[in-house]
Amino acid sequence: MLGAAGLAAQGQSGAEIPKRPLGRTGLEVSALGIGGYHLGSANSDTEATQIVNEALDAGVNFFDNAWEYHSGLSEERLGRALKGKRDRAVVMTKVCTHGRDKNVAMRQLEESLTRLQTDHLDVWQIHEVIYENDPELIFAPNGVAEALLEAKRQGKVRFLGFTGHKDPSIHLKMLSHSFPFDTVQMPLNCLDATFRSFETNVLPEVNRRGMAALGMKSLGGSGELVREGAIVVTMGLRYAMSLPVAVTISGIDSLDVLHQNLEVARGFQPLSAAEMKSIRDACRLDASDGHLELFKTTKKYDGDLGREMHGFPSSAELPV
Amino acid sequence: MPNTSNAIPLRQFGRHDVKISAIGFGGHHLGDAPDESTAVRLVRQAVDGGITFFDNCWEYHRGKAEAWMGAGLNGMRDRVFLMTKVCTHGRDKALALRMLDESLHRLRTDHLDLWQIHGVCFENDPDLFIRKNGAAEALEQAKREGKVRFVGFTGHKDPSIHLKMLATGFPFDSVQMPLNAFDANFHSFEQQVLPELNRRGIAALGMKPICGHGAPVQKGVLTGEEALRYAMSLPVTTTITGIDKPEALQQALKVAQGFEPLQPSAMQALRDRCRQYAVDGRFELYKLSLQFDNPEARLAHGFPLDMQQVEVREMLKMTDNSGHPFPPTK
Repeated sequence: MLGAAGLAAQGQSGAEIPKRPLGRTGLEVSALGIGGYHLGSANSDTEATQIVNEALDAGVNFFDNAWEYHSGLSEERLGRALKGKRDRAVVMTKVCTHGRDKNVAMRQLEESLTRLQTDHLDVWQIHEVIYENDPELIFAPNGVAEALLEAKRQGKVRFLGFTGHKDPSIHLKMLSHSFPFDTVQMPLNCLDATFRSFETNVLPEVNRRGMAALGMKSLGGSGELVREGAIVVTMGLRYAMSLPVAVTISGIDSLDVLHQNLEVARGFQPLSAAEMKSIRDACRLDASDGHLELFKTTKKYDGDLGREMHGFPSSAELPV
Repeated sequence: MPNTSNAIPLRQFGRHDVKISAIGFGGHHLGDAPDESTAVRLVRQAVDGGITFFDNCWEYHRGKAEAWMGAGLNGMRDRVFLMTKVCTHGRDKALALRMLDESLHRLRTDHLDLWQIHGVCFENDPDLFIRKNGAAEALEQAKREGKVRFVGFTGHKDPSIHLKMLATGFPFDSVQMPLNAFDANFHSFEQQVLPELNRRGIAALGMKPICGHGAPVQKGVLTGEEALRYAMSLPVTTTITGIDKPEALQQALKVAQGFEPLQPSAMQALRDRCRQYAVDGRFELYKLSLQFDNPEARLAHGFPLDMQQVEVREMLKMTDNSGHPFPPTK
């Protein structure tokens, strides 16, 4: 158990949430982003709208989503909440072909735009690149990579990226194709640092290429790091936000969680290198078998659509 | 020289002057047999058919698999090479030795031919195994006391974890791993671990010749016989196959009696046929999910349980109205 005391200055209430460049896109994004999956898990449409509006007013401008989250509910909620405020937000959603072709991708894009009530996305990413043959399928002739380029040509999306939570080697395989990705999303937290590490293996490469790194799963995906006592919430979030990333996407399903995370983000000052190291060291034992990073070691975080496309059992048949 | 006899070939057990049958009887599936008398019959028919290698594990069906095998081997113990596994999953020597005594009791014998560390599947398992007061010391002590002749380990997750176990320098006599035509193209034990074992004179024990529950056979990618022939043609001492009913035993005996290894070209043809399904691991769920990780391993490491898993259901049943906390054996 790692105490928060003595490690870093608390965020300052009233201070601004820092903005950082989104790679070489020219956009600036808030250091904290709102995760789309949890928006669909919020108790009501009203609470989801409140989360988005309060976040915007606090200076959060990055909003994450995916075509497949909660069968569209996550995108619909974000679209409704951003009505009339679209230009204040950097909106990202993800395409869920899971190996299928360009046409499927373009249809999903139209659906995403409709649900999000907008005529363009700021960032469109390939979702859940987690199977080892995904890069091959993505870059196959008529694959989703072609859809990304076409959507950009048509002006429907401004910037392109991909995301996945499984293995650094799959991310590196994606990068080896030299496709002009603007963003790359990955799990980054204080346990990842010493176990199948994206921080060590992927993050430096993404920064070297001038792409924007988007961090996710700062607390293990569903707060596993906190529930199991590996770390306290605020320290987990601080660690992730102190890495060289454009934004840390945080799943927020209630106003309480929003308030807690805004408190960390306001006036955020990155931890020192020594503080980062002491957190990594304190987490090393908990990290060493991956039982708190279930997205890497089990099927728990692998969506049903991707499983189906790859011939895997569903989450009901094989929960983990 | 062609195999003109109809016997199951015997192969040398690593660097030791001991021979075991090229096919082994898998203990987990024995616990899936409908009842004890069927299980006893299967074991006896297997021995009569020429199978001498019997696999088991302390945690299979919470002891039932060992008890049924013990009943089946009653009076035939000296005709077989008996292996079971210990389920410390990182926990200490004293627990391992308690499990050994329970296994011996259930198997109705005073010694094991082979005792292996079960389910070496998580990245920190090798460190926990070799630590002071860890299971490695239990293996040494049991050997000294004459309760086990040989020692080894098994796991189904990742070749790199097997290599880390070998790097501890512990003198293993055997190592068990999944070997099949899918593995050959994906996180491959065949490529990364098998040659190293043969180089060191450690007996290689293959398992999961049809990927655990036979999914690729059900999907029609290859037949059960093809899958078994592929695995048995690799440079292994034995291939352990699950036997839960007479049909499975008949298939195993049919392939194994008078067995001749496949030619390299036939092996390559099978690998090529399986390649498109191998590349995302869909038929090797033991490498990518917790499906084949037993509750003892999950509990010891803090991974979530699968409430549908047979051992978990049996654990819950044992605690029903007993007033005992879950899990009952710790």
